[in-house]
Amino acid sequence: MINKEDVLNIALLSKLYVADDKLDELTAGMQEIISFADTINSAEVENTEFDNINNLSDVFREDVVVESYPREEILKNAIEQDEGHFLVKKRV
Amino acid sequence: MSKIKKLHQQLVAKQITCTELTSGYLKKIEEKNGELNAYITITGEQALATAAAVDKKIAAGEQIGLLEGIPMTLKDNISTNGIETTCASKILTGYKPIYDATVWELLKAQNAVLLGKTNMDEFAMGSSCETSYYGGAKNPVDTNYVAGGSSGGGASAVGGDIAVYALGSDTGGSIRQPAAFCGITGFKPTYGSVSRYGLVAYASSLDQIGPITSCVEDAAIVYDAISAYDSKDSTSRGNIGGSTQNAINNDIKGMKIGIANEYLQGVRDEVKTAVLQAADVYKSMGAQIVYFDMPSLKYALPVYYILACAEASSNLGRYDGIRYGYKTDSYNSIHEMMCKTRSEGFGAEVQRRILLGTYVLSAGYYDAYYKKAQNLRGSIAQAFNNAFGICDIMLAPTVPMTAFKNGEAVSDPVETYLTDICTVPINIAGLPAISIPCGKSTNGLPIGMQLIGNKFEESKLLNAAYKYEIESGVLLK
Repeated sequence: MINKEDVLNIALLSKLYVADDKLDELTAGMQEIISFADTINSAEVENTEFDNINNLSDVFREDVVVESYPREEILKNAIEQDEGHFLVKKRV
Repeated sequence: MSKIKKLHQQLVAKQITCTELTSGYLKKIEEKNGELNAYITITGEQALATAAAVDKKIAAGEQIGLLEGIPMTLKDNISTNGIETTCASKILTGYKPIYDATVWELLKAQNAVLLGKTNMDEFAMGSSCETSYYGGAKNPVDTNYVAGGSSGGGASAVGGDIAVYALGSDTGGSIRQPAAFCGITGFKPTYGSVSRYGLVAYASSLDQIGPITSCVEDAAIVYDAISAYDSKDSTSRGNIGGSTQNAINNDIKGMKIGIANEYLQGVRDEVKTAVLQAADVYKSMGAQIVYFDMPSLKYALPVYYILACAEASSNLGRYDGIRYGYKTDSYNSIHEMMCKTRSEGFGAEVQRRILLGTYVLSAGYYDAYYKKAQNLRGSIAQAFNNAFGICDIMLAPTVPMTAFKNGEAVSDPVETYLTDICTVPINIAGLPAISIPCGKSTNGLPIGMQLIGNKFEESKLLNAAYKYEIESGVLLK
């Protein structure tokens, strides 16, 4: 059973705000999905290990130095930037 | 006949120039996209520039490749250098990647003509394309119905002939389901055979890029072009099985087609009938039909939603408003900036899946949900492994029903999740599967059937699909 407090706590962990008028609906929706997910608890299956799909072992390789993307290119999509840095408003 | 081959021959024979072909498609997009809403971005200028380059080659007597000059689209979660890639989300509005996804790099090198970026459910989370920030893509068979999701725009574009082929991505059925709804072909390759580099991640252990086409042969042509080992994707294996085009017309006499009884439960009668009629077509070609049980399949859907949401909650943590995309206007702290940016930028379904994923990964619930789901994932993968010990290919419905009406899918999340019941087991096990048309419902909507292959056995899978397509004459109906 998931309650409103749980939903608010998970939202905090997820860095999301839940509007007061949406909390009841969201809690009910989450409860419905979690009840559905709970059906796996009735499964009696062997403890089959699952590491990855194609049984790949660690994919190590020799480090190869390649050219990086130019800093100005990487910064192009930032809403606020200055002198080669991402900017956020000063709050301290 | 393959549409790609037909257009290729017309280009080579100089019956049409690539510029004329491309202009024709751009004109059709202008006429039809208002209704279909298949495209988010149209890249006409770039398309015509590529077309002109192809025309120059042809005029100079140079040979061109099969995909050269063929107008196509990419789903809007496939990165394109300098071209907006929004994932149909407000949070990525205006985002222009600074690099190309490997699949686009491969196709671009072959002078593929990119017409634009296609509509999708936001971050590929949905089954109707209606969670898109730009509104859903419509079904070209009947625009009162959805194109399906999440690669709804690509399916709508190919079905409506405003693109020759499209690349989509499939995490739980997002290529196959819209292909089934729109009456076309959708192919999800084996996990690892097509590079995911540059595909904006939803659930990294399930995501796979693949083609949406008007026939099986076109799917083979596009798959052969995009399946290659890529050192930039640590799960990449490449095309281990070799050219699928070479194997497509092999004799399938003696091939064992398996049907898991669970796959026929809970599907609409007319869908079940169409799939069983397809089994008869296979029998008439000398294939053998074998039935068996796969009890673990009944857990596939909750397992999928637990794992996909868990991975999504982690993958979507990167959207914080600082480096790219949407950023909230006013805030008093960094925490508030991130919360407001994410709450204003993500749609309701994406937020619901992030919350669910965070819940199943949080202390106290991890063992009961995430760990248990991972164990069940192993059991389901093992069950498929056993099935391919007794058959070569599996046959199943793609979706238990036909396309739903616009607006119907949004009302009940669990009910909507159930539409993915036939497709998600394939992603859980990392297998290749293709959806091809196999009939129509009484109200004239397409029914899709799904053929499932063993890992990296794309050649056998596309061979079986092609033979059915030819024998049944389904494309002519």
